[in-house]
Amino acid sequence: MQNPYIPYPVVVDKIITEVDTKDIKTFRFKFVNPEDEAKYAYIPGQFGELSIYGKGESPIGIASSPTQKGYVEFTVQKAGVVTQALHEMEEGTLMGLRGPLGNSWPLEFLEGKNIVIVGGGFAFTTLRSLINYMIFGDNRKRFGNITVIYGARNPGLLLYKDELIEWQKRSDLNINVTVDKGDATWTGREGFVPAVCKDVAPSKENAVAVICGPPVMIRFTLPVFFDLGFSKENIITSLEMRMKCGIGKCGRCNVGNKYVCKDGPVFSLAELDKLTPEY
Amino acid sequence: MEKRLIKKDALAGIAKKVAEEFLVWAPVKKEDNVLFEPLQKDGEPFFAYLNSKNAPKNVFFPHTEALMKFTRTEKGMVFSSDENKADSSVLFGVRPCDTHSFALLDKLFDQEKYQDAYYITKRQNTTVISIACVKPPYASCFCTSVDGAPVASEGADILLTDIGSDYLVELITPKGEKLAKYFGDAKADAAAETRKNEIAAKAIEAIKSKIPAHEVKPILDVNFDNPFWNTIHGKCLACGTCTYMCPTCHCFDISDEVKGGDGVRIRSWDSCMFPMFTKETSGHNPRVSQKERWRQRTMHKFKYYVDNFNAIACVGCGRCVMSCPVNIDIRKVVEDISKL
Repeated sequence: MQNPYIPYPVVVDKIITEVDTKDIKTFRFKFVNPEDEAKYAYIPGQFGELSIYGKGESPIGIASSPTQKGYVEFTVQKAGVVTQALHEMEEGTLMGLRGPLGNSWPLEFLEGKNIVIVGGGFAFTTLRSLINYMIFGDNRKRFGNITVIYGARNPGLLLYKDELIEWQKRSDLNINVTVDKGDATWTGREGFVPAVCKDVAPSKENAVAVICGPPVMIRFTLPVFFDLGFSKENIITSLEMRMKCGIGKCGRCNVGNKYVCKDGPVFSLAELDKLTPEY
Repeated sequence: MEKRLIKKDALAGIAKKVAEEFLVWAPVKKEDNVLFEPLQKDGEPFFAYLNSKNAPKNVFFPHTEALMKFTRTEKGMVFSSDENKADSSVLFGVRPCDTHSFALLDKLFDQEKYQDAYYITKRQNTTVISIACVKPPYASCFCTSVDGAPVASEGADILLTDIGSDYLVELITPKGEKLAKYFGDAKADAAAETRKNEIAAKAIEAIKSKIPAHEVKPILDVNFDNPFWNTIHGKCLACGTCTYMCPTCHCFDISDEVKGGDGVRIRSWDSCMFPMFTKETSGHNPRVSQKERWRQRTMHKFKYYVDNFNAIACVGCGRCVMSCPVNIDIRKVVEDISKL
């Protein structure tokens, strides 16, 4: 019996400061025991428990794609005790990683469809995993048009800036990056995510929208997609809850008869309608 | 199934004998309470008890237990040992409502996917000996309303039933049969069996407290937003006593403790009754008041557990009824729901 509470030992291999405010960093981990990487086979949309002995654990979505071999990445905002400790770490530090946990973006359901990805602010991490998965090599052929709408409050708060530039060069991706308010050097789009969605107006035909962002963004974006004719079955999102065990035992993320950690975090709006509104 | 008879006054001696070979958890008198504790060399088990003050779930799911240890190195804190281990032990003299709770907890902790190593190891290494309730101990007992009975063996490896001058000993599982040598060689006859069945039927009749536990499931399915939920929590102190006393409550917290260069990751009981239970780092709390927490506790026991495991997560022991400092009575709550 594998003990699901024991983390895999990992080393902090690389730390990338993502935003001007320096409170969001991407941590690249390598497994101390190379054989653990295969055991940590994950699907975009899953999460892991970042385990810092002496501080605790924090459930964070996996930001890298399984097509990126040799490491796993998590983009983490400094917020509580564990993430604060993580942000103070240096490259080369040892820690632990549990998972992969939870369901995932529904790849089989997405295959053959046009994909609309809508992300706001810091909630772009598992969407980035999905994008990198879909555009990797032959994977690209398994999906139709891919439209990405990604917004942040200002240019300095955009994540994965280098990747955004690379993605924009591709002819098989429709990338729309927006900021609420630009700065002196910003030449891109300005405007809130819901307005940009309205403007881009992706077709509902054979399409699925995958939406992640702060509650206020979700609240104003959903009506746009309903107006465009998207059904609740074809709008997918990911929930965040307080978690400890990550395997549906400790009871913390229990919403209705589901546990966000093992039955989620990914749900369609149709599925969320059946849950009690306690998230 | 192998059945034997032992003299009633032989029981304490048997428990002490078993304790020479195994760690024995037995009911022990502690001031005014009876608690399940490891039987000490000179300790005396107290089998003339009604039920233990606390549920014996702590044998498999301790109030606090070490999950793993870690130690400081130049490159940070690293894992040092898995603390998943358990001595071969015997839980001696549990009431049938509490053995029923083990069967219910098994459904959660021992699922096909995501097995809880710590619970399972303790469960596998422990033999459960139950003593039937010939006379239901408390007026608040309602086991017969939640798929239990005063003389029932679910979750037990051995069942003892007081049939007069003797205990009828039923060695139910292979684990139970392994302890056969402690229970003498007097085979039970058909008369003993008949006597036990009569006693069991009488004991069921003696349970007067009844709740419509099954009837409320379809009502709970459609009444999440009913104003009724405003009526329970008014006097609740959020002390969490009900969840701590409950044999089936299993919510827990995981936290780290460090002393010098070494540390331990522990898990300890937590409670859905506590405001902090669901509070997120951002400050957002999905269950914002005691109303939502009471609804959660009720729903979890009488709806969600039924949805997920086809079983009610209540064994009718009445501990929460007796222990609540402000007399909130789950029987009344369920009764009221049945009238919605």
